[in-house]
Amino acid sequence: MTSNATAAIAARPEARSGALGRVAGSPLVRLITRRVLVAIPLLFAISLLVFILLELLPGDPAQVQAGMDATPEEVEAVRRRLGLDRPAPERYLSWLLGVLTGNLGISSVQQKPVTEILATALPPTIEIVALAFIVSLAVALPVALLAARKPGGFFDRTIMVISMALLAIPNYVLALLLVLIFAVAFRGMLPSLGYVPISAGLWPNLRTVILPVLALSIPLMAFYARFLRGDLVEQINSADYVDTARAKGVGSWRILWQHAFRNSSFGLLTIVGLNIGGLIGGTVIIEQIFSIRGLGMEMLQALGARDIAVVQICVFIFAAVAIAANLIVDVLYAVLDPRIRYGRN
Amino acid sequence: MKSSVRGGRSAVRLFGTLAVALSLVVAGTACAAGGQPTDDTGDVEVGDPQPGGSLTVLLDAGFAGGWATGLDPATSNTTGANLPQNAAIFGGLFTLEPGENGEGGQIVPNQAESYEWSEDGLTLTVKLRDGITFSDGTPFNAEAVLWNWIRQLSSGSTGAPNIALNTSLEPPQLDQAFLDDLFAALPEDVDRDAVMGRLNAIRVVDDLTIEMHLNAVNGSLINGFPGANLNLIASPTAYKEMGAQAFSEKPVGAGPFIVTSNTQSQRLELERNPDYFKDGLPYLDELNFQSASGDQVLYQSLLAGDGQVVEGLSSVTLIQEARNNPDVQVVLGAPTSPYVVQLNTRKPPFDDKRAREAIYYATDFEAINKGLFNDEGEMSQSFTASGGLFWHDTVPGYREYDPEKAAALVEEMGGLSVRLGTTDIVTARSVTTALQTQWEEAGIDVQIDAEPLGDVINRFLAGDWDALLQTAGAWDPSVGIGVGVRFGSTSPFSGTPLPEGAANAGDAIAQGLTTELDDLLAAAIATTDEDERFEAYKQVSKYISDEAYAPFGMAFSPAQVMKKGVHGPGLDQPIPALAVNQGVLYDRVWIEESAR
Repeated sequence: MTSNATAAIAARPEARSGALGRVAGSPLVRLITRRVLVAIPLLFAISLLVFILLELLPGDPAQVQAGMDATPEEVEAVRRRLGLDRPAPERYLSWLLGVLTGNLGISSVQQKPVTEILATALPPTIEIVALAFIVSLAVALPVALLAARKPGGFFDRTIMVISMALLAIPNYVLALLLVLIFAVAFRGMLPSLGYVPISAGLWPNLRTVILPVLALSIPLMAFYARFLRGDLVEQINSADYVDTARAKGVGSWRILWQHAFRNSSFGLLTIVGLNIGGLIGGTVIIEQIFSIRGLGMEMLQALGARDIAVVQICVFIFAAVAIAANLIVDVLYAVLDPRIRYGRN
Repeated sequence: MKSSVRGGRSAVRLFGTLAVALSLVVAGTACAAGGQPTDDTGDVEVGDPQPGGSLTVLLDAGFAGGWATGLDPATSNTTGANLPQNAAIFGGLFTLEPGENGEGGQIVPNQAESYEWSEDGLTLTVKLRDGITFSDGTPFNAEAVLWNWIRQLSSGSTGAPNIALNTSLEPPQLDQAFLDDLFAALPEDVDRDAVMGRLNAIRVVDDLTIEMHLNAVNGSLINGFPGANLNLIASPTAYKEMGAQAFSEKPVGAGPFIVTSNTQSQRLELERNPDYFKDGLPYLDELNFQSASGDQVLYQSLLAGDGQVVEGLSSVTLIQEARNNPDVQVVLGAPTSPYVVQLNTRKPPFDDKRAREAIYYATDFEAINKGLFNDEGEMSQSFTASGGLFWHDTVPGYREYDPEKAAALVEEMGGLSVRLGTTDIVTARSVTTALQTQWEEAGIDVQIDAEPLGDVINRFLAGDWDALLQTAGAWDPSVGIGVGVRFGSTSPFSGTPLPEGAANAGDAIAQGLTTELDDLLAAAIATTDEDERFEAYKQVSKYISDEAYAPFGMAFSPAQVMKKGVHGPGLDQPIPALAVNQGVLYDRVWIEESAR
């Protein structure tokens, strides 16, 4: 369509509403709308569940914060200061209203707005999770393709053994091993702890996140590589479309990349979506080990000190990210497969 | 009477303290600096201090390395845990210095020049050194101390000390501008009458002299200073100029170092205070505190060169490994807090004295010390240890290990089932497992509950416990996790009987009821005479032993682990732990040039 024709159509109100209607009525938009509408009450439900769980946690937050030898009056004063003397439903509604209006409350331990805490805690966590995600996929995809090209070959078998070994190592053990190798054995190569923000320079920043990112991403890349390699091999060995492609003389790389991988990517997408939650959860331990004051560390420390406002928002963010990740996966399914988009599968 | 100075810690911090103490696996009281050159007497040869250099100290995020509530002494809830940071920024009115011959410790006036008790023991007069200024250039005088003390007592922080002040004295003449500045630095909802009452009790005598008037004699007040926020004097002018939050992040004191950068509970960077009041000190140009989680990470970071000192390493395997590392020196602190198995006398089975006696007879801490700690722990039959004041390791009539007597008592009772709880820490679990084996040999049925800290606190608060493995004691037994916390009848963390006629601890407080043990504990701080206090604590130990309230075991102190060439009081010169970790006097810490 020429630009003139487009302008002419746009000039007509009925045509404009028709175009908008087509967009609004598109299966993909409808799907996204449906999913978002489901996600909103889900988030509320999670926030309520988190609140109830925090209420049920053993220990009296007021006593914990008042101190071991505080008098009952002092404990009561702390309870009033924290607002814990109000009924639980009132406290939840007040918190929810605050979240909706951008007021996340005050940390009872740090005595500063939770938004301020998030402003410093989110960047390192986002950076580590994003890099771990990218690194794990960036390594796993080519490795899986290479391994699947010649199943049972030397490279395939080597990768299978290595990936199995890496999968067997918990990330906190891996973190300590990485520190032993890159910080202790090769002293000074990389720091064993701490975080330098990117504003202090790219390389100083990267130096501090390389080990945490590797500790998080290595088990994931091993898992993704094994999973994708297995699916690709199954496609190549049993799918009719592969036989057809072969009969047409299509090369093995092209079959693998253009045909088998496209089908296998559905399974990988599902796994990646499910793993996002685990990846963020992994930061709780990794941030502790590398002394990075991110969201995971804030949550853990707040939990120990019964800093409810901080725990609540951290868990809420973790849940929101997990929901968002799965929403994105659902959308990607639809993008990749028209049958899902049109509700036929 | 309630313990007079309450350390600035929340329950979590205090329990963290216990958790750390419970995990201690270090040996004895002697200092070991393996591999260093020694003189003829075996003492380590250390040359003259060499000024300069930068030092990074690694601190456990779960204790000293956590300062989430900031570093303003009036509002921080972790003053007692953050001894390293506070010593560096504020210095302190008083310091706990290494004792002579490397044993014990002594309170020494630091920014204070002297202190004096009135004859009736109800007035403390503190004289300040002349010529000290805060690092912002303003004078360190009695008015600044008054401003700090009133803030610390009135801030609503859990670190606020609890002192029985005589608030009924005639109001002093106070400058209105001072009062305005003071109230501007207090919470909006502060009880103004209470503040004015405190201002009656704490008075500026002259520019360098301040008095504190008490309602009751408090023999542990001065001893409690090094671990309390009263010891830390900040600049009122800096507070006024910076505001509460900025001041909490970068407080201004008159200590040896100045804060340059602070990422709460992660990293604190300091530089030398050029106007420090001690000539030639501090030796270091820069001092950094880096928080890290757990002993393994702390030790690895030391080896990786990300720090030169680990304060308070407690893992036995890592300490052994550090001892074998020629590049590292390990110095063990003087212990002050022995293990104890608290018994809950307020409910069955330990409301029956025979059950408690059976536990005493069935417990062989010496075997545990030998088996789990290479026989390096220091045995104690009381809440005192060699590093602390009033040390008496034996108690007349203490029931020692006698499994036959234990078995006979259990048989007489028709059986004994016990839930033995502890904080879920590897070392503590090992000790409880050993106790379980010993007790079961005497016919006692034992179930171990190793639980997270929060659950243990909850059990205490609910009274839902039989026996709990803990630590008890402090450098001065009445401060920190002192004997009162474990054995005072109104303490929520005690299992001793409630006073007669009291339904619960709150009721006892409201009615002013006390037990005989409460009275003995009160008597131990109702005098400033050290000999009298010693005798009183002996009576307390005897009473606890006679009533079989809790068998005591080994006492330990965490290790200071550092790269060779790092020296200073509290590092290679042991100072008794006030409660858990020993304090380090960073103004006198130095690094050999070859180690920089």
